[in-house]
Amino acid sequence: MSVTTTLIEVLRARLGAADPLPPAPALPTIEAPPARVFPSPRTRGRFAEEASTHTTALLGIGHVGTRYATDVVLQFQAELAVAHEAVEAVLPDDWAEAQKLLPLRSQVQDHHQFLLRPDLGRRLHPDSVQLLRQKAARPVDVQPILADGLSAVACMGSGLALLGSFTRECEARGWKVGTPICAKFARVWLEDEIGEEVGAKIAAILLGERPGLGTGDGLSAYLVFEPRVGKTDGDRNMMSNIHARGTPPEQAAKRLALLAGAMMAQRTSGVRLDLSALRAELGEAAGTGYRAPQRRERLVEIAP
Amino acid sequence: MILEPIPPKILAVRRIHAAHASVLASYGADPERHTALGLVTCDQDDPTYVALDEATKHAPVDVVFARSFYAGAAHASGRLSGEILGVLAGAGPDEVEEGLRALIRCLEHDARFYRADERGEIAVFPHVISSLGTYLSREAGLPQGSSMAYLVAPPIEATIGMDAALKAAAVTAARVFPPPTETNFAAAWLAGELDACKAAATAFAEAVVEVGRRPRER
Repeated sequence: MSVTTTLIEVLRARLGAADPLPPAPALPTIEAPPARVFPSPRTRGRFAEEASTHTTALLGIGHVGTRYATDVVLQFQAELAVAHEAVEAVLPDDWAEAQKLLPLRSQVQDHHQFLLRPDLGRRLHPDSVQLLRQKAARPVDVQPILADGLSAVACMGSGLALLGSFTRECEARGWKVGTPICAKFARVWLEDEIGEEVGAKIAAILLGERPGLGTGDGLSAYLVFEPRVGKTDGDRNMMSNIHARGTPPEQAAKRLALLAGAMMAQRTSGVRLDLSALRAELGEAAGTGYRAPQRRERLVEIAP
Repeated sequence: MILEPIPPKILAVRRIHAAHASVLASYGADPERHTALGLVTCDQDDPTYVALDEATKHAPVDVVFARSFYAGAAHASGRLSGEILGVLAGAGPDEVEEGLRALIRCLEHDARFYRADERGEIAVFPHVISSLGTYLSREAGLPQGSSMAYLVAPPIEATIGMDAALKAAAVTAARVFPPPTETNFAAAWLAGELDACKAAATAFAEAVVEVGRRPRER
């Protein structure tokens, strides 16, 4: 280093130019967020709030900035937990016998396999086939089957009520109803094999449906005319959302019986079934009268 | 970035091992003592003057000719002209070769202009020579071996810097070149002890930077 380069180095350091990069701009100060964040009254519209009292839909939940309010997020998480629990629930082995139902099961070994192998859930276990041949009445007009499906919670909850109502509706129409059956680890198509075994004209499987947010107790019903292994979804008629906040089991049973009647008359089911003449009656069966507004169940309460 | 070096570009280095007597005479050499010449062109004149002086400290050579060209390297007459032609003369090719080696080393590693502003539009040459050789001591009228601050900048920067340098340290103005020089700069040669020369060069460079930052004092 010569004399000049040394003195230039010193001068550069003194003038603040020794740093090869220019100094970074100062960071802006960011205010700390408030301890608790709730939507201000301004963000909750009056009309949305009023509308939300008439439906279970997510209306009038407000917002905090671009995000949901804390209570809405907690409610969402709680409803998701309800759905998770419903999927995880397993029908107890002795439950069906305690309810005086014929206990059948599919070829599925355990719950984990049930979720991963829908194909095994569609065929009966050999022991169950034997049991069915020994105990079940045959031939029958309608074979109702209660099943766990994706929500054993729903099966054990309003499942029995739906089974009872549907059986009464069918008997009232003079049809021969099969031995009440409860199938474990069952998928919808299991009704084909059961119905075929008992020689039923119509098989009706009532099973817990895939849980949604806050609805772990929903039931679906699938009806098929002349059940045979190999029938497809195009051969079935179904009803979903059978639960207290959707279609109540009693109304659903009436509607299902009407469907079964149409199948008997037209000797078919699924997409080929013509329901145009029954539209008014089906609506009546589902209940077109006044019904008090359903509210979304509050799973989480936060004091404002 | 300020005070970044602007490396000088050596454009041509040629030797004449046995120059014609007329050439020697017309370029200021003494045909009695000198036979060989070394010629250098460069795009920075003041570093080359310093480097020519440096050569006289390393080899028995004389700086017989050194002239800047009008308006500087940006207006050169050819791609090898640059800003200056310097000529070393020696008794033989070996002496000239030794001198050229010292000259080139000085240009490549020591003497150079610096950028006095961020955009590189102001150049400053705050050079300290700790020990003068035969050439600059003769030009400055100072004893050989003494220290000198060789300060160059554009006209107004140099004027303010020169004033600051003279006030900052115990130095005297050996020679002042008011603007315009051939290259339209201004320069000052300040003499004093080595530490005084260093303080003066520092003050000069700082003043040039300051003028560049606040040309209208606002």
